[in-house]
Parts: sequence; C-alpha cells; structure tokens
Amino acid sequence: MSDTTLTAGAASAGATSPAASGSAADAPGAAATPILDVRELSVIYESAGQTPVQAVDHVSFQLKRGEFVGLVGESGSGKSTLGFALTRLQKPPARTNSGQILFDGHDIRELDDEELRRQRQGGFAMVLQSGMNALNPVRRIRDHFIDIYKAHGHVPRDRWQARSEELIGKVELPVAMLDRYPGELSGGMRQRVSIALALSLEPQLMVFDEPTTALDVLVQHAVMDTIRSLQQSEGFTAILISHDLGIVLESTERVLVMHEGRIVEDGTSRQILDDPQDEYTRMLLSHYADPRAEVVSLPGFEDRSVRRADGRSRADSATSAPSVATRGKRSAQAAIVVDGVSKTYAPPRRGEDPVRAVRDVSFTLEPGQSLALVGQSGSGKSTLAKMITGVEAPSEGRITFGDLDVAKLRGKRVRELHRDVQMVFQDPYAALNPLHTVEYILTRPIVNFTGATKQQARMRVRELLETVGLTPVEQFAQKLPHQLSGGQRQRVVIARALASDPQVIIADEPVSMLDVSLRAGVLALLEDLREQWGVSLLYITHDLLSARLITDDILVLHDGQVVERGDTAQVLQHPQDDYTVALLDAVPDPRRARVSA
Amino acid sequence: MTTTQILKLDDPAQQKQPGALRTIGRMIRVIWSNNKAKLGMIILALFILVAIFAPLLAPYGAQTNTFERNADASPAHWLGTTAAGEDVLSQLIYGAQVSVLVGFVAGILATLVAVAVGLSWGYIRGFGADVIGFIVNLFLVIPALPLMIVIAAYLQNGGFGVIIAVIVVTGWAWGARVLRSQTQSLRGRDFVTAARFSGDRAGRIVFREILPNMTSLIVGSFFGAATSAILAEAGLEFLGLGDSSIVSWGTILYWAQNSNSLLTGQWVLLFAPGLCIALLAMSLTLINFGVDAVSNPRLREGTKK
Repeated sequence: MSDTTLTAGAASAGATSPAASGSAADAPGAAATPILDVRELSVIYESAGQTPVQAVDHVSFQLKRGEFVGLVGESGSGKSTLGFALTRLQKPPARTNSGQILFDGHDIRELDDEELRRQRQGGFAMVLQSGMNALNPVRRIRDHFIDIYKAHGHVPRDRWQARSEELIGKVELPVAMLDRYPGELSGGMRQRVSIALALSLEPQLMVFDEPTTALDVLVQHAVMDTIRSLQQSEGFTAILISHDLGIVLESTERVLVMHEGRIVEDGTSRQILDDPQDEYTRMLLSHYADPRAEVVSLPGFEDRSVRRADGRSRADSATSAPSVATRGKRSAQAAIVVDGVSKTYAPPRRGEDPVRAVRDVSFTLEPGQSLALVGQSGSGKSTLAKMITGVEAPSEGRITFGDLDVAKLRGKRVRELHRDVQMVFQDPYAALNPLHTVEYILTRPIVNFTGATKQQARMRVRELLETVGLTPVEQFAQKLPHQLSGGQRQRVVIARALASDPQVIIADEPVSMLDVSLRAGVLALLEDLREQWGVSLLYITHDLLSARLITDDILVLHDGQVVERGDTAQVLQHPQDDYTVALLDAVPDPRRARVSA
Repeated sequence: MTTTQILKLDDPAQQKQPGALRTIGRMIRVIWSNNKAKLGMIILALFILVAIFAPLLAPYGAQTNTFERNADASPAHWLGTTAAGEDVLSQLIYGAQVSVLVGFVAGILATLVAVAVGLSWGYIRGFGADVIGFIVNLFLVIPALPLMIVIAAYLQNGGFGVIIAVIVVTGWAWGARVLRSQTQSLRGRDFVTAARFSGDRAGRIVFREILPNMTSLIVGSFFGAATSAILAEAGLEFLGLGDSSIVSWGTILYWAQNSNSLLTGQWVLLFAPGLCIALLAMSLTLINFGVDAVSNPRLREGTKK
C-alpha cells in the first residue's frame, strides 16, 4: 500500500529534478542506462606538511538502476572516501583530482551548492556510521522530518503527519517514536530514524557507510534485515560500504572489493564466494567460518582446529606448559573464583529502577584455563571484568584470586593484584599513550612490578617484543604508537600485559577493533602465549567464532545472568538457550548466505 | 640479545628529550602556519624586543623630568611630555618592560596553579574533589575586579610582587576549571587505565600520562592568563592601586588621568599606552588561534584552504 504512494510521490517530486525518469525505474528499458557511472575517479588527501595520500586511485564502475551493491575493504582501503566523493560530501583535505562521477548522465562534480542541495531530494542520500549521533538531541524525531519537508518542499503541509508515520513504519518503528527525543531512543532505533530521514528524500541512490558497525551484534542483524527489505520494496539503488565481507555477501547481489584505493574485484556475490579471482578477496574470505561447524579453521589456526574438534585435551596443554616455557616461566597457580557476584548501579534517573548489570554470577577460572565470556553489549561482561580486576567492587558476592579478596583491595594491594592479573584492552588506538615510545610503555610495568634495573628492563622489553612477534625489536622499541598499525599496536598492548609476568590475562574484545585479516594473527598470539606461558585467559567477546578458536569453556551472559555454560565446542554446536542461538545467527558468514540463497 | 647491542643504544633520557622537543617544535610550526597567529607572534616579538632593549631604544631616561611640562609633540619629544615633564615616548618604551614581565610572570604562575589544581581535581574522585570544587567555584563566582581592588588596596604600595600575587590569586580558577574537564575525559581513556595496570602511581599517571596530552590546552590557558594579567595590571595601575612611582603603561594612564590630559588636548598620553596594551593583549589572543589549531586539526586544515 505504502509503496504505491511513495512511487507516486517520487514521480511528482522528480519533476523538479533532473532525475525525472525516476518513475521509470521499473521499466525494463531504463535499466540499461546506468544510474551511476564512475570513470577513472581519483581522490587525494592533501594535508598541510604531509605527503599527499592517493586514497582512491582511478576507480571506474557502473551501477544499474535498482542494484544493491556492496563495497568492501579494510580500513584505509579508500571505501569511505569513495562513498563521500560519490555523494559530494567530501571535505578538504580530500580532493577529487581526476575522473568523472556521472549520476543520471550529469557530472555531479560540476553542480554548484544550490543545485547540490536540491539534488539531495530525489537524488542521492547517505546514511553514515555515526548517523545515529547526527540527530539534534533537543528536537523531537518529528521535527527532524519536518525540517526536511520544509527544506525541499516536496511534501505538502497536510501530508507531513501521514508521510512521517509512513516513513517511520517503513523502518519498523512504532509511530509513537515521532514524539520522542533522540536521547530516549536506543542506538539501533536512532540508526533506523536516520535511514528513515534519508528515505524521506526519496533518493534514487542510497549510500550506506558502515550503517551497522557502531551497533550491537544482535541489533546489527535486525537493522541489516530492514535495509535489505527496504531496498527490495522501495527499489532504490544502494551501495553498502562495509569492512565486513560476511555482511555484504549476505545482503548484496554484487560486490566491489577495494584494496589500497583500487577496485581489485567486481563480481556478483555468488562469483566472489565460489570463485574469487583476486588474491586479496581470497584472503578476506578465508577469515570467515561458522563457529557451529565440526572443525573450525582459520589462517594460522589450521593445526589447532583439529585438536579441538576431537575433544580438546586440557590436561595436555596444562602439563606441557612448563616444559614448553623455554625460560622457566612460572605457570598460573591461583584460580579466580567468582562466587554469587551481583552488581547494581544507582538508577540513571530518579524514579527509575536501579540497573542490575550483573546478577548472581558464579564461575571459576582454573589456572591455565581459557574461558570465554560471551554476550551482547549490556550483558554485563565488561562489568564482570572490571570487578575481577578490582576497578569496581561487587554489590554482592565475593571474588577471590588465590587468597586475595579482590573486592577489599585498596591502593597498594590493587597493585599486587595487577602483578598477576593483567588486561588486554579492546581499542589498541586508545590503550597506548600517543606520546610514549613502545620502549617506555613496556618499561613501566617491568620496573614497577619486578624491580628490574635499567639494563634488565631493557633486555626484558626486547624479549617481550620478540615474544609478540614485533621484530626487528630495536626498531619497534623506538616507535611511537602512531607509527604502528592496529595489529602491531594490539601486540604492544599484549606485550605490556605480559610484562609483569602475570598469571591471568583478561582480554576484553581484543580483536573487535582490528581488520579481519589481522584478527587471526592476534588470536593465534594469545593462544600461543596461553600454551607456552601457562597463563589463564578470560576472553570477553561477542564474537563466537574467535571464542571457538581460542577457548576451552564458555559462559554465555544475557542481562547480567549466565544463561548457558560448558565446553565451547559443545555449546556452540548444540546450543540450548535461545539467546545463544540468536548470537550464533548474528555471526556473519558468507557461506551461510550461499546455503540460504 | 647481547650486551654490546644494548650498549650501543642511547640513554633513555636522551631519547625522551628529542620527543618532547619534537612536540614543541611541531607545535610552533603549526602555530606559525596560522596567519593570525603569525601576526600575533610578530607583534609579541616586537614588544619583547622593545622591553629588552628599552635602555638603548629610549631617547631619554624613564623618569627624567627636566623637560618642559605638557609639551606637544616635537622632534625632540615625538609624543610630547607629561605634566611632570617626562618624555612620553621614553616612558612608553620603558613601560613595555613592566607589562611584558608582569604578563609573563603572572601568566606562568597562574597557569602553574591552574595545572596543579585542575589536574588533581580532575583525577581524584569523591570527597576531595568536592572540596577542591567548592574552593574553585568560590574563586569563580567572586567578581575578580572588586576582589583585586580589595586585595591590592589592603596590601598598599607593595609594588610589583603584590600586583603579580593579586593577579595570580584571582586569575587561576578559570584555567583550573578548563583543565579539570579535560583531565576528567582523559582519565577515562584506556591508556590511563593501562598505566594503572602497569603499576604506576597517581602522581606519575597525572604528570607523565595525562599532562603531556594537554600541552596545547595548557599553552592556550597560559596565553589566556597572560592576556588577562596584562589587562589587570594596567587596570590596577590606572586605578592607582599599584606602585605609582614605577613607569608602566598603567601608571602613564593614571598620571595622564590625574593631570586631565584629555582636557589639555594631550590625548596621545591616554591613547598611546592604551593602544600598546590593546596590541599586546591582542597579540596573545591571536597566538591562541594558532594554539587552537594545534589541538584541533580540523581548524588547521581550514587555515590552509
């Protein structure tokens, strides 16, 4: 019903724009002329005092009307730069230095500001990763829609209400949301609103730039479903920019793979999946697997997967640990015991219920064990990590490490705890002070915890760098964090966690900020360290695939409660709880897309 | 890993030095690349040179009062003479010394207090933070000028030191407030938590991890404090609350006002020191535009466009 009204609206509005042929989208003849024709486009970043960077390098491609195309690449591949260039949203220091972007036959680079503004309606629109934060917090959702109607005048005043309700319905939100303020909506809802706002312009081309990356796993899945069904029902042409090949292959018909500013592969999703031509595409694909499978294998994990599948042998790794440890490392001796722990935060506003972040959770992290703590954001997994490391105190229950009662530690005793319990942070870009060299960063825990002399500390820094695979060590020791890639930074973070020679490492989503191709390497490092140094590992994640690879046991948290626990392979292959199943379904897997297709 | 390899390395202290110098060097380059800041730096440099070389530049002594009184501008006295028979140009040149000196000394001291208070206030939590907050807010809500007047009147004729003390006491609170909020946001960063996990103590975390990340903010707050110090010094002197026997732009204004120069047609006596004060304060404000660009790269791109 609503579809017909929209088409009519688009047609009448389209009369003012050069895209008068909008209503002909479903006519067979129109499909032949491309809606977007990019010819030899290059975009360069020219910052003052820095060498220019060619972010997009002679890229050419065409989009047919109504096509849903994915644009995949890792960070720095130029995919977002390309998206911004296509919608003329690029800002200095980015500059298009060659090529043409023909949208409906007109080069959009030649539009002046007013033409461009008018073009936003019935032309091209963009949904950003942070689009959900683009809403004005002091204005109701309704006002955001009305602003657009006023700016473009494409909806008569008496239709404002009806049109807003229709749009909000299209993104599967209740009409009551129109009267809410952005702050009252969750991240997923706000991202839906920003999609609805883009839709209200009746665009022929929509560019989605990582529309779900900032959202929680389960929400991510639902929002992608909405985008997919909208694209089918509305028939707009869409480009989905994402770093996640899994998501793209699940959603789109055709995929462009970008690498270092060039499009290295352009083919249908099917082709890319079954017969990838480019080395880079093959590499990306190799990093996906189904955590439910009998044997899970990723690059760097080939040998492990087999051992884990045929009943992992914890006894083996535990006994072999001291002998493998070449320098006579002490292995973990003390267990972390979490006993009936709850954490309740004061209500966010007066009159609301207190937030129960963690409810009556008990588990034991045995020496040398690796345990996954899995759940979506808000499930209480990070709160648990904070309590175990003594950053926060539990409201109820007890956490002990050996004979230390973690909750009662103060000042100096906390430092004692940190000697044995170390943390690997989620964001390697935030976890290293940008002004200190790697050497300084690693020296601090060595000096603080082991009382080593300068000379000893220097030796130890080099050993640590060698352990985490940052060689040549002399070079890396002198580097500043900004001179390192994300994966290298995360290795430094891991090296720092090892510096005090700890018994337990708590890794809070250590790979979620890294590019897919770098993840396996960091995970393999964590796994090696656990086996060779005999440290226990508490691995906090929402990513079940990585949990499957490096942990023996798993604990699934939902709303602060443990809903499922057991052997990782067992739980993931035969999940009992609905929530575990939902989490498993949310894992993007290109191969599953093929099964369903 | 052999010892010979280790010995080849530089001393860590030496390695750190280039790092800090590089940061400051990069900062100056960025500030210099901003046109407004460039203008400000040039004006400031001129004033500093004038202050340093005042004895060479000034045609007469600052307090030589043997000339004709209330003389108009002439080749001998470019800006005329005062009611007491002093050469105005010489007074103006010597007056730069006081303004620049007070501006920088009071600015540095106020910034030091602001850094010490702001950083510890931002880092600690609980009752201690509330106490500091109360004190800072007290200084923020008391109107600065009346407070200055009261303190200066109370410590009558203390000279230089008193003026600086008064300015510092009344001028640190705003900077502390700004630095505190930045400290609070930085203390939540992972690298600060990581330093805690590395076993670093609070003092070290504040001064080695947090402080270096706020350099541009601190420099900005210094220029802000120096500007208000220069203005406050001139204001206090003009009101006769300083030591009226020294020669500064404020005292020139004070004596000019006392001798009704405007009525006698000697507007230069009011205009010249006023302009100097305005120019000096403006130069610091202009430099602050460049400092903003250091902390916000987006502004930097804007200037290059």
